[in-house]
Amino acid sequence: MTVLTPIALNTLDQAKWAFSTRRVSRQDAVCMLDMLSYATSGDLVLGRVERIGSHKKIQLAAGRASELYVGDLVVLACGDRYAPDQFEGLAELDPEGADMLAGGGVLGRMRHRHAKMSAPTRIIPLGLLANSAGKAINLADYALEKVARPDGLKVIGVVGASMNSGKTTAVAGLAHGLSRAGHQVAAIKATGTGAFGDFNAFVDTGARYVADFTDAGMVSTYRQPLLRIETGLDTLLAHAKRDGCDVAVVELADGVFQKETADLLKKPQVRDGFAGIVFAAPDALAAAGGCSALRALGVEPAALTGMVSCSPLGAAEAEAATGVQVVTRGTLCDPAQANALLAQMLAKHGRHALQVSEVGVAA
Amino acid sequence: MLNPVSDLTASVPSETVTLLYRPAKGKDALACWLAIPSNMSAGTSPLVAVHGIRRGAKQQAELLAPRAAALGRPIIAPLFDKVNWPAYQQVVRGKRADLALLDLMTDLRLAGTWQSRSFELCGYSGGAQFAHRFAMLYPQLVTRLTVASAGWYTFPDNAAFPYGLNETSGKAGHWGPRIAAGLQQFLEIPIQICVGEEDCVSDPNTRQSAEIDQQQGVDRVTRARRWSMALQQAASDRGLQAEIKLSILPDCGHDFQDCVQYGGLDRLILPDNGGAASEHSQLYHPQPETVLSAKQS
Repeated sequence: MTVLTPIALNTLDQAKWAFSTRRVSRQDAVCMLDMLSYATSGDLVLGRVERIGSHKKIQLAAGRASELYVGDLVVLACGDRYAPDQFEGLAELDPEGADMLAGGGVLGRMRHRHAKMSAPTRIIPLGLLANSAGKAINLADYALEKVARPDGLKVIGVVGASMNSGKTTAVAGLAHGLSRAGHQVAAIKATGTGAFGDFNAFVDTGARYVADFTDAGMVSTYRQPLLRIETGLDTLLAHAKRDGCDVAVVELADGVFQKETADLLKKPQVRDGFAGIVFAAPDALAAAGGCSALRALGVEPAALTGMVSCSPLGAAEAEAATGVQVVTRGTLCDPAQANALLAQMLAKHGRHALQVSEVGVAA
Repeated sequence: MLNPVSDLTASVPSETVTLLYRPAKGKDALACWLAIPSNMSAGTSPLVAVHGIRRGAKQQAELLAPRAAALGRPIIAPLFDKVNWPAYQQVVRGKRADLALLDLMTDLRLAGTWQSRSFELCGYSGGAQFAHRFAMLYPQLVTRLTVASAGWYTFPDNAAFPYGLNETSGKAGHWGPRIAAGLQQFLEIPIQICVGEEDCVSDPNTRQSAEIDQQQGVDRVTRARRWSMALQQAASDRGLQAEIKLSILPDCGHDFQDCVQYGGLDRLILPDNGGAASEHSQLYHPQPETVLSAKQS
């Protein structure tokens, strides 16, 4: 039997609401459900910090990090997480204690952790937050209105070899360079785990519109249906267009072998929606491997960037191995060079579209 | 006796225009002269007017001020001073003149001088060199381009940059291909090319070499003709209906004031229709080129 417990006045005001919950209207949470084992990805959980582990801070909805203390009340979203150099975990809640999988506010059950990581911070789930109808509150309830992919928006994709390969730096650099060149730019993170680091990095660029998958109602895209992720991307692009943007720079998280990223790139309607793809790699070997993987998917990278671009020798090796130009962060931030890179992509994309069209006619 | 097309005194309309000097706000920043009309409406597209190597930013703002007042449009005349910007005409040679102009435009947007997403751009002599190269780099920013009496040009051909768009060795080596990437969008800008009828002899300020003379000709009139034809050909090769027009200004040599007073340059830069580039411009055909008659205007 489901037990609905009214929330005592001001209890939630004392809680630390994680960044992943930033779109939620807090006054809607008026009671708690005890059905923790039925929690699904995106459900909001009120919890109490039992033990401080790997995450010593929580990223608040207000955009700053807050020190965690044992006994703190926190509001997080139940979710999966995929992070090869941190945790991998599932959207499952144990009433005896759950794992804080990401500082941006993801709670679940850890399955794997990187050797460098200590145990996750433990949270005792007190209940699922519910509305006045007794329904569990989910991030999806507060998502942007679903809209089809817009026409006329130039979209640049940024993918990488792995976490921390330089994708966010590349998106930020391009967003800044293109904004300075007079474009109305959207910086979007289409996949990954809800956190404010990348979001804030995008805001700092001066981009006109910044959004991530949490704005499309997902705390994490790991293990989400591909159609939902694709629809989320289309929605974010459409809202960017509505906001007046003419260019969008889109980051796909993790490496090209990550399932959701790979599956997205395999879909022609997603892949061909990008005017060009920039690949971020830590070194020349990763650049060569990444280019091969992308080419196998039918994607020709427009440029390489990331840590490999910091090393002139590494960049030369990468260019020799792939035939793809390596661009530094400085290049991406330069308005004229970012503009030229966009123009190069559009010219090639136009030729590609023409070739596809010609094949269709011939067939 | 010359018959002025633009009688400056007579053409000042009832609306007032304020001429302002704005000092540079920082080490690598640009000063500028502004002509701000009293009847400027929100969202009005400004005109950025770039001086030649005499650094006559104030003169440009002053001589274009009557048209600014008539049309209710602000004039922004950046000042690339001789000490800090010896090669501003080439835009990306040495200190980046394009970045300095972008920063100035950002500052002026914050100050409320302009609010539109793009602007019209014109340049005279060295300023015309700057203007066409800037527009090649940022075609999405420039809604209309007037290139007046440039000494030489960057052609849409395979000559080494800055004469053409081919790669060269050295620091500026990659700029040609970068510009080439956006050439199609550049060719979609309405472009007005102007040169004085008597600006047909090379002077000490005209760049001369066997290479440039062969590619562009020896004087500004020949070079303007060849550039306009090259742009038209490049547009045609891409299937574009380009709006490129060459106007030869009668009774004018290489002098900005003469070009305004006797050649009607101010009306070519700022036509009555608000800059839609249709009153004076039409689809360019190599012959006959337009020679403005003083009496016509």
